[in-house]
Amino acid sequence: MAHVDLSVTLAAGQKQELRLRNPVMVASGTFSNGIEFAKRFDVDELGAIVSKGTTLRPRRGNPVPRTVETPSGMINSIGFQNVGVGTLVSEVAPVWARWQAPVLVNIMGETLAEYGQLAQRLDGVPGVAGLEVNISCPNVEAGGLEFGQDPLLAADVTREVRRHTALPMSVKVTPGVTDLRPIVAAVSDAGADAITVMNTVPAMAIDVRARRPVLATAFGGLSGPAVKPIALRLVYLAASVTNLPILAAGGVSSGLDAVEFLMAGASAIQVGTATFRDPQAPWKVLAELREWCEREGVSSIGEIVGVARRRD
Amino acid sequence: MRSLDVEVTESARLYGDTHVLWMTRPPHLANATPGQFVMVYIGEHTDPLLGRAFSIHRTREGEQGPEFAVLFDVVGRGTEWLSRREPGDAVRVVGPLGRGFEPRERVQRMLLVGGGIGCAPLIWLADRLIEEGREVTLLLGGRTEAQIFPAAQLPPAVELIATTEDGSLGTRGLVTKPFEELLPWSDQVFACGPNRMFEAMHDVARRSGLRKPIQALLEGTMACGMGICYSCAVFPRRGGVRLICTDGPMFDLRDLY
Ligand SMILES: Cc1cc2nc3c(=O)[nH]c(=O)nc-3n(C[C@H](O)[C@H](O)[C@H](O)COP(=O)(O)O)c2cc1C
Ligand code: FES
Repeated sequence: MAHVDLSVTLAAGQKQELRLRNPVMVASGTFSNGIEFAKRFDVDELGAIVSKGTTLRPRRGNPVPRTVETPSGMINSIGFQNVGVGTLVSEVAPVWARWQAPVLVNIMGETLAEYGQLAQRLDGVPGVAGLEVNISCPNVEAGGLEFGQDPLLAADVTREVRRHTALPMSVKVTPGVTDLRPIVAAVSDAGADAITVMNTVPAMAIDVRARRPVLATAFGGLSGPAVKPIALRLVYLAASVTNLPILAAGGVSSGLDAVEFLMAGASAIQVGTATFRDPQAPWKVLAELREWCEREGVSSIGEIVGVARRRD
Repeated sequence: MRSLDVEVTESARLYGDTHVLWMTRPPHLANATPGQFVMVYIGEHTDPLLGRAFSIHRTREGEQGPEFAVLFDVVGRGTEWLSRREPGDAVRVVGPLGRGFEPRERVQRMLLVGGGIGCAPLIWLADRLIEEGREVTLLLGGRTEAQIFPAAQLPPAVELIATTEDGSLGTRGLVTKPFEELLPWSDQVFACGPNRMFEAMHDVARRSGLRKPIQALLEGTMACGMGICYSCAVFPRRGGVRLICTDGPMFDLRDLY
């Protein structure tokens, strides 16, 4: 069978160009920091790993219940439980440095300055191959989402991170806006190397018996197969206003799901919630994608990126 | 941690509304210990989406080799689906997961306390402890007789004490009272049940001044069971945060309250 070139390049032509051996990544917050999984599975086969959302100081996260299952999906409100950037750099990054798979650190600041400080702390750290800048988390009171709902603020965050690091950076956007396009355009102009589309969809569930919201924080973010059509449309729209590579997240559970996102204009895909239903999900998506390419005579992944887009 | 299809070998209502499901035991489950759990994935499609966590209830040698069981009440779509599995059906599972009970060596008197379906992992623990030649008292509480694991299914050497809230079997009331009486006798305590049972037990233990270790199996909302989603947080009194699925589910009650 003909060899398929699955490789993808982020920040092409830049100082810190990042080459992924294939377009299958894991999504932030659905793989912890990968340390436990790396003991059992070969993470080096994957395109890239994205860390748990990381903040300047350690956070305990939100009260429980933090998750609830919904039809073909789930709503989460974890609230950025994480060890903080200090421990991440001293204890986790040295493990990543031994992997071949690149790791992007997902960062979330409560203020503009914190985004810059996070970028600075991670710049040049062995094991950190890039950043994913989260301006789209629905589950914290401060920071996160509010930066992602205003093109000017989103651009400010992007510039602030860019000023503090030469690492390749993807900016992760939220579906919780009326029109995604101005935000994607703004962060593209402000120095992002890629756009991650999308974070979870703001949502809630009610416990009828108790007559109150199920989640301790009332609201959370919906993920899983239920959100895939939403994510596909947003990837398609984002591709109409940026030439940067798009990293697609939202319900990817199979190789065919990945193909759909690539055809909509994504250069890579992230497997998130699917891993909760099957720990091997990212590897299965990769194997199925490769098989599909072989079957369809696709010799390089670039051949299908954006092919479903109307050329008008 | 690979997910695997196992085959159902027996599915039955064991007592009251409680079902037992026996399955072929994959080789890597051979080293599991009582208190560890498996994730069982429901249906072939994405609805319901997430796996359900079940304590390993028992193991045995079946006709086609080793088997393991889970014990459950039908409380929702997942357990309803599971209760309809028949011998020959495939079910996908991951396990063993988490940290199970840790009986100390060279201690003899083991007190096991279960509330409702919390008896599930204690039965296997009792099997093991009896095999090791220890003394086991199993204290089980339920709303009514139909919720108490049948004595006939236990190793004969286990002493079973039951309490029911309606008095239909054993003493009327909660397990707290017999627990208080048995605590001085015991060398080590293992518990599984609702949080308010743990709180009551912790209270009794603290007031007794006996400093007996109580190993409790915690329950919480899980999405992954494998330490990657951070759904199952528990907040120890002294600060910090732990994950039930990987730091537990077994915790020493003194580390929590
Ligand atoms: C439990 C959980 C935790 C998440 N934590 C983060 C996070 O820390 N940072 C982030 O940018 N996205 C986080 N996400 C969003 C995912 O990375 C992803 O964008 C989203 O879930 C959609 O993909 P999926 O449907 O494949 O899960 C989280 C999602 C889930 C389900
Ligand atoms: S259930 Fe996902 S981390 Fe415990």
